[in-house]
Order: sequence, then C-alpha cells, then structure tokens
Amino acid sequence: MTINEIQNKIIEEFSDLNDGFDKYQYIVNLGKSLEPLKEKYKTEEYLINGCQSNAWLKTEILDNKIFFSADSDSLIIKGIISLLLRVVNNQSPADILNNELYFIERTGLSSNLSPARGNGLFTMINQIRTFAENCY
Amino acid sequence: MGQVRVKSISSDDLMKRIGSENTKVIDIRPVEAYNGWALENEKRGGHIKSAKSLPFKWSKYIDWIEIVRSKNIKPEDTLIIYGYDTDSIMKIAEQFYKTGFNNVLVYKGYKNEWSVNDKYPMEKMERYTQLVSPKWLKGLLENGTASNYDNNKFVICHAHYQNKKAYDDGHIPGAISVDTNSLENPETWNRRSPEELKLALENYGITHGTTVILYGRFSYPNNNDPFPGSSAGHLGAMRCAFIMLYAGVKDVRLLNGGLQSWLDEGYNISTEETIPKAAKEFGVTIPLNPYFAVDLEEAQKILKDKNRNLVCVRSRDEFIGKVSGYNYIEKKGRIPGAVFADCGSDAYHMENYRNLDHTAKEYHEIEKQWAEAGITRNKFNAFYCGTGWRGSEAFFNAWLLGWPKIAVYDGGWFEWSNNNLPFETGEPE
Repeated sequence: MTINEIQNKIIEEFSDLNDGFDKYQYIVNLGKSLEPLKEKYKTEEYLINGCQSNAWLKTEILDNKIFFSADSDSLIIKGIISLLLRVVNNQSPADILNNELYFIERTGLSSNLSPARGNGLFTMINQIRTFAENCY
Repeated sequence: MGQVRVKSISSDDLMKRIGSENTKVIDIRPVEAYNGWALENEKRGGHIKSAKSLPFKWSKYIDWIEIVRSKNIKPEDTLIIYGYDTDSIMKIAEQFYKTGFNNVLVYKGYKNEWSVNDKYPMEKMERYTQLVSPKWLKGLLENGTASNYDNNKFVICHAHYQNKKAYDDGHIPGAISVDTNSLENPETWNRRSPEELKLALENYGITHGTTVILYGRFSYPNNNDPFPGSSAGHLGAMRCAFIMLYAGVKDVRLLNGGLQSWLDEGYNISTEETIPKAAKEFGVTIPLNPYFAVDLEEAQKILKDKNRNLVCVRSRDEFIGKVSGYNYIEKKGRIPGAVFADCGSDAYHMENYRNLDHTAKEYHEIEKQWAEAGITRNKFNAFYCGTGWRGSEAFFNAWLLGWPKIAVYDGGWFEWSNNNLPFETGEPE
C-alpha cells in the first residue's frame, strides 16, 4: 500500500471512534501489539530526544526501502509509534519525503494530544525524515 | 452515561470529607482560579482546601487519563468534582465514569455557597497575582486595566536566547524582544553587572515601577542541537524574571504556560516588531534585592549549614554524573551535599515543575516533591542548575509560594566544575 492509502485507512479507523478516551484506548492497544525492540538497542544511540518518556528508534535501509523499529516505556507513545511506523515502514526515502503526513491532523492527533506528548510525536517525525534525507 | 449515577454532595457533607483518606476533591476550573484569581467575581479566590487542580481544558487531550494518573487520582478513590458551571462538572464526571471511576460525586455549590461563606476552608497561592492567564493579559492589552493591576505602565517581554526568529515568527501583540544575553553574561552565564543591567533594563523601557509580564516560546529543545537553549524560550523567561526581581523591578509577572497558553486560547500573534521606548532612569540602585543571588563563596558556606539547602535543580542523569547536561560543560557530577530537586528529562526540560501544557505544576505538588527531599519553607534554599535557568524556574516557583528565604546560586555546576572543586558521581548514599 502507498503511504497515502495507509493514511486514509487510519483516518477511516479513527472516524469510528467516538471521543478522546476511545482514541486513547485504540492507541494504547496498538502500543501493546507493537513488537518490542531488542534490549541491546535501547541505548543512548537510538534514544529519541525531546520525548517526555523514553523512546528509541532504530532505522535501516534495504533495497531502497526504510525499515523502522521502535519502542517506548510509555504505552501511549508506543501506540503513536505504532501508527507512525504503519505509515512509513517499508517505504522508499523518496516516498517518505514527498508525502505529507496528513493523518496526524485529520485524526485529531495533533490538536488533541497534550503539548508535551505532541512534542514527542513531532520529534519522531523529524527523526524519520532526517534518516530518509540521509538515504536519499 | 446514566445521569442517575451522578450524585450531588452538599457543602456541609463536602466539608466533612475534606482530608479523609481516598477522597479526592477535583477542581476543574482554570489553573488561575485554583491559584487564587476570582475569575467570576466570587467572594474568595483560590480553591477548596485539599482540592487537586484538573482544569476542564485538559479533558480534550487524548492522554487526559495519564494526567489523572500522574496526579495520583485512582479508580478506587471517591471523587468530588466541582467547578463554575454544571455542564462542565457533569462532562468531567462522565469522563471519569467512562475511564473506570465508579465513585464520582459532583458539588455544585462552589460559587454560591462555599466561596461566600468563611466557615468553609479555602487555600490559595500566596503570590498568585504574579502568575497571569492569557485572558488577563489580553484584557490588559485591550483596556489598559485589569484586576489586581494598579499601575499605569507595563512592558510585555518575549524572552529568548539568541533566537530573534522565535519572536519574529509570532509574538503577543505589543511584546518586545528580550534576548537573555542582555541580562546574563554569555561567558560566565551569570547575571550581568549592576551597571549593565541598569542600561539593559532602561533600554527596554523598564524601571523599578514598571509592571513586567514575561513569557517565552517552547519550541522542542533538542539536547543534540548546538544551542538547545534557543528552543527553551519559556525557561529563558524564568531566568529573566529572576534577574529582574534581583535588580529591583517591583511587579514581575509571568504568563502561565508561556506563548503556548496564549495560542491555546486562540488569540492572535503578531509579526510586527515593537521597538521599546527607553526609560530615563531605572529609579533604584541595582541590585535592590542582592540576597536573591548567591555566589560561589556563599554556596560553599551553605553546604556547611544544616539550616540552609543548596538545591540542585538538574536531571537525575546530571546528578549522578552520567552526563554533564551541556555541550559546553565537560565535567560530569554533582556538588557534594547538594539536595536534589529533579527537574525532569534534561537541561532544557522542566517536566517535574510543569503541566503537560507548560503551565506551572499545581503548587501543592511542587511543595510535596520538595518536602520529600527536605526542601521546606522554614529553611533557606538556594536553587542552582548548570548555569541558572532551571534554578531560576524553581526559585520563581518558591517566590510565588511566598517562601521568605530563597536565592539562586548563580554559578551553578558550570562555575563549580570550572573551579576544580570536589564533586561526586553515582547514586548518593
């Protein structure tokens, strides 16, 4: 699926959720299903700076596709990571750089996350884009 | 939600429950009302004794329940929700039910019964007037007057560190740009000399009698950036507030939450620069309040005095010597004998002193975390960090609380480590 097809699917899923708490539970459940990052990668090298909770992001490129794996000690951050990775994983650097991540606004994530958690989300996006730029 | 489940509680029943175990009184009014402002002209400002602050504004956040948990409000507690209006009270009660809280009561008599009757106990932050809301500031800008403001001259300062762009990108209309370097020396990071401060403040149009309202823009500081402080504008505002208090500005106020809270209200920002009109004379000898600042020699004496604390407002990783916290400080470790008052994640974040929207954390919570470390009102407390910004935020919080014996150890870890003085690493015994 393309980045935009995945984003549209997520927006559709969010439209079925009634309120903030439903969204919270949905995100937390996603977090529970995120494959944990191996302990050896939970180091300073992979730490995402500016995140309220500890969060790590590991990136690699194979055959012009970027693969991300990530983890956090906060369930909601894990859930947000899970959403983000669903969109950008297994995509080319060009696709990551050329597509706006509009699902964040249209799902209400950007306006309905507390500013401190929103900070973490935007830091993660910046880190993903920086890696894509370096691969491009 | 079945509304039948929501029971109301009377003023006298609420009075009996204050302080009882597993009962949490929840104040959903804006933080300013909680702190002391009588926002709806109620007879007494402040909050019901022992209440916790959980403003209605936060209920829109997806992660609201995590804020609830961080305030130690548990599903097994009996909650008593109060606010200004019934609709908001019921919405929050419903939100609590939905998230697994089954013992929720609502109290609707706050404005008409509780605040008007002195037999019902209330509390407020001693210097609540110095922590202002966006609404108050907007009113002052539009009308030139505001409650608890008895002056005819004010200056709004958008503080930043070498980041005029943060101001140019959008500031509160009428605010002037204040670079922290104008008030602190970029070599020592200490406050500038009295002569330099006099000139800088006069150039900003600030005198002893001016009301100054400070704020900054928080723009996601990253510790790996060459100048992370440039993105920690609201922390810079705290630093300026401390220096202005030290210099002798009589009425220093802070916009609670910084630019973020102004934006959260949906108020306009301006890209038009306001040029300050210089003042002729500051009006008093600087520093008017020299005791607010402590230097190295005094800091060493404090360490030997059991009635005085040298309070380390740094992150745990800095305190145990895992990191120095700054790209321009090499040595890692702590001052032996310093009392630890954890700031949060790193040198540019103050999570343990702020709410998730950057407003100041509930003042009782700050007092509690300090008390657990032995930092109490009856002692003299000199706050420090790496170079003084975080120490200034802790100082400002203590000042808002009305603590009488407080200071900033200005040199902090930067000065201490540069003087090759003893230091410790690892977990303290």
